Amino acid sequence: MPSKPRAMPRLDLAELQNELLRSGISPRHVRRTVAELNDHFEDLVDHALAEGAESTTAHERALVELGDLNDVAAAIRSRPELRSWAYRFPYLALIVYPLTCLALLPAVPVVAGIAHAGYLARWAACILLSGVVTAAIFLFMQLSITLT
Amino acid sequence: MAQSNPPFMSGVPELLLLRLLDQNEMYGYELVRSIRAATGEAISLGEGVIYPVLHGLERNGSLKSKRKAVRGRTRVYYSLTGKGQQRLEKLRSDWRRIQGGIVNALETPSHA
Repeated sequence: MPSKPRAMPRLDLAELQNELLRSGISPRHVRRTVAELNDHFEDLVDHALAEGAESTTAHERALVELGDLNDVAAAIRSRPELRSWAYRFPYLALIVYPLTCLALLPAVPVVAGIAHAGYLARWAACILLSGVVTAAIFLFMQLSITLT
Repeated sequence: MAQSNPPFMSGVPELLLLRLLDQNEMYGYELVRSIRAATGEAISLGEGVIYPVLHGLERNGSLKSKRKAVRGRTRVYYSLTGKGQQRLEKLRSDWRRIQGGIVNALETPSHA
């Protein structure tokens, strides 16, 4: 009986990605690590294929040479400088930042108004014009009722 | 295949990476191959663990990186900064001091 063909081994970085994000590693570093590991894996596969390995074997070898992804995750977690600022400075992220936003919130319309004064003036003029037209229509209807 | 040597690896990948990048800019895969070649395959890393070291060195200003498109793939090339040069000199002198101490310890008869 012919043996079943071996399944093509795949590099699955989704779990590593989720674990790193859960550990507070900055999303930018996570994206970059995943992209570089993917490229590295492709290079290892290309190298094995160039040496004459069959495709499945090349992928298997590449996975072994890339190493255990748990080791990669542990190495990244051991570097606090790769964590997002919210994890490195939790008091800042959980207290100072929200309080600052709350304090600035009332000022936002004023700042936005200054920045978009032209739009606001046109918008106000349109509202005023539509109010005048509506009032004129109501006046005309009232007069027509009164005078008939 | 060379054996990996995790207990003795603390600080060594950093020293080797800085030394190699002192000569040329390289990307991750190229660096791993160069480490193998330069150490006669005495040091072999699980290749993926090189990236946290590179990112950490970049974060502390020892390395800088730039992206280059090569044969349809975007590669991140790393190169040494001035701060990295100083870090390399410090690690190199630390390493020589430790190496000298170990050589002395191995060659001196034990008094224990």
